[in-house]
Amino acid sequence: MTEKIFRNSMAVGISVFLLSVALFMGVLYQYFGNQLTDELETEAWLVARGVESMGMEYLDGLKSSSRITWVDRDGTVLYDSVVDPATMENHADRREIQDAMRGSQGTSVRDSSTLSEKTFYVARRLEDGTVIRLASAQYTVVVLLLSMLQPLLVILVVALVLAAVLASRLSKRIIRPILDLDLEHPEDCDTYDELAPLLTRIRRQNDTIQRQMELLRQRQQEFAALTENMSEGFVLLDKRGHILSYNSGALRLLGALAPAEEANVLTLDRSDAFRRVVEQVLAGCRNQGRLERNGRCVHLMADPVFRGDQVDGAVLVLVDVTEREQGEQMRREFTANVSHELKTPLTAISGMAEIIKNGMVEPEDITGFAGDIYKESQRLIALVEDIIHLSRLDEGGPSLQRENVDLLELTRGVAQRIEPLAKKAGVTLAVAGAPFTVWGVRAVLDEMIYNLCDNAVKYNRPGGTVTMSVDPGPNGRGGEVTVSDTGIGIPAQDQERVFERFYRVDKSHSKEIGGTGLGLSIVKHGAALHDAEVELTSTLGQGTSVKLSFAG
Amino acid sequence: MRNTFQEQLEQLNVELIKMGALCEEAISAATKAYLEGDRELGKRTGRLEQEIDNKERDIEGQCMKLLLRQQPVAGDLRTVSAAMRMISDMERIGDQALDIAEIARDIAPNHLESRTPMEEMAREAIGMVTDSVDSFVRGDLTLAHRVIARDDRVDRLFLQIRGELTGLIAAGEDGSVCLDMLMIAKYFERIGDHACNIAQWVEYALTGQYEED
Repeated sequence: MTEKIFRNSMAVGISVFLLSVALFMGVLYQYFGNQLTDELETEAWLVARGVESMGMEYLDGLKSSSRITWVDRDGTVLYDSVVDPATMENHADRREIQDAMRGSQGTSVRDSSTLSEKTFYVARRLEDGTVIRLASAQYTVVVLLLSMLQPLLVILVVALVLAAVLASRLSKRIIRPILDLDLEHPEDCDTYDELAPLLTRIRRQNDTIQRQMELLRQRQQEFAALTENMSEGFVLLDKRGHILSYNSGALRLLGALAPAEEANVLTLDRSDAFRRVVEQVLAGCRNQGRLERNGRCVHLMADPVFRGDQVDGAVLVLVDVTEREQGEQMRREFTANVSHELKTPLTAISGMAEIIKNGMVEPEDITGFAGDIYKESQRLIALVEDIIHLSRLDEGGPSLQRENVDLLELTRGVAQRIEPLAKKAGVTLAVAGAPFTVWGVRAVLDEMIYNLCDNAVKYNRPGGTVTMSVDPGPNGRGGEVTVSDTGIGIPAQDQERVFERFYRVDKSHSKEIGGTGLGLSIVKHGAALHDAEVELTSTLGQGTSVKLSFAG
Repeated sequence: MRNTFQEQLEQLNVELIKMGALCEEAISAATKAYLEGDRELGKRTGRLEQEIDNKERDIEGQCMKLLLRQQPVAGDLRTVSAAMRMISDMERIGDQALDIAEIARDIAPNHLESRTPMEEMAREAIGMVTDSVDSFVRGDLTLAHRVIARDDRVDRLFLQIRGELTGLIAAGEDGSVCLDMLMIAKYFERIGDHACNIAQWVEYALTGQYEED
């Protein structure tokens, strides 16, 4: 803009200069031409008078700046002040001479052959019919201009410099207020009135932009807050696989670091399964995969995002399915175990019954076989009872009658019942502690403590001890029952799992020891029913201690 | 014009990540094939090696096209030339993974490897490859330096394994098995070297300095 204004003012300056030079020259030239003709006319009249009175002598004695020619009536040149008249051609056809012969005077202007001069002719008829002609030359405009070129150029240069300086200052001064506009705060600007509508418009648009930005920011924050609080991972991709958005859950599940802005999704994870899922989803196929990261199972679901029928991006959702898979695994194992545990005694019973049926047993041996069948059936009954117990506890047991139960008394009772078993195993029992009452289901509590003591005796060594202690908490609020033994202990990797149904640490010897594999599971569920916590500490080869902590 | 260039550079990056991932998979599969005697994994290593070779040719073509058509300068030129060097290291990793898998196929099942730190060596080599690719993916200079520093550890492990294998042969164990194990250990050591090279190229791409050994 500055440049445009500058150029325009320069152009105006230069054209004014050139035009005035032209005008000046034209006017002056015209004026001098006229003046010359006038002078020639006067001179012609004088010369005519002189020739009329004195003839040729007058011409010979005349000193004049103009060229004087005397032409006879028939056009023959009688005299010429410059050239010898004998060499000159007939002048009858010259316009000024013809004019003078017809009237009394003729004038004409002719360009000379070189174009650098113009010749003015004035002819006058004498009384005897001959014609006197005076000629005077004048330079043409071109020649005049050329002769003035030097001063003109000097003036032109001066004018140009002056025009340039002024034009540049002018254009800058015009532009300055526009440059100084503060577009952030257009209302504060003090500038040309013509710009006011524009500034108002800008202000309005600024406001709109600000409002929309604010809105966008809010939306983004809401979106971020929502996705951040998801436990699932979430990654949004554009169609070329750049990450548009992600939440911290995704980074956690993939075990990745925060990616750079606009980074490719493969920087998050480059495993085979992940690559395949990303590739397919960007090709427009909805699909899923399963990843294993840091010992966790992650389920990856990918959905393409379409705009029209073109894939415009994709949404990846990652879900931690470790627990679900473990749960499924446990259920599968439980079903398998239950069937197996139920089938083992039944097979034995069926086999023995078959032998008896076929009469292959001597009558005196039948008692022994019957005893075995009885023993196996008892085991089966115990197993089914345990399963019923468990399922009742699973249901939450609304039918179970609650009452005040003194745990010390209960523990003593358990100890008495288990005494014969302990004697057989060579284990010493000891009960210690103070009376402590809880509001609970007597049968369940009895079963829990019995199971714990039973385990403590079974997994003990001859000469070992089992200590049962009942400690009421301070102020009678809460309390603990601890059953410790000096037995074989439980390996660290199995300590978590012993509460699972049918889980056996030593699977190969379970038959000898007996038991259903459900005891500790019942303890766990019973504890949950009474809002108690079960804490197991065990050192392999030194013994196990299980603590039931009842809340107050 | 420049936009296409940026896109092509990014494409190159993505392809390199994929090739790195293939290398990781190949060496993991080969190691598993050896340590667990899994024949299927051995075959998978072969397929992965083939894929790595194809990838190398692809990336090489891409790099050439970038160099000739876009004539990158400064940092971009470094990236492209580092990429060209990196893929040859990655390709070697793939080859060596296949070599390990091939030896694993012929080796009779035995428990000799539990008497040498072979598993640790494998873990270390895989870790180096993973970290070197990671350092490239994230442009992480410190991680690249860590990989370079880890090379010494793999070298030491190789010497240790060699010493123990000498002992085993002297103790009358099957000599050919021990020699095969020595080869595998050497391959792991080479893989470590290549991972270290990759890390050095990452360093070169990031800083313009190439650390001579």
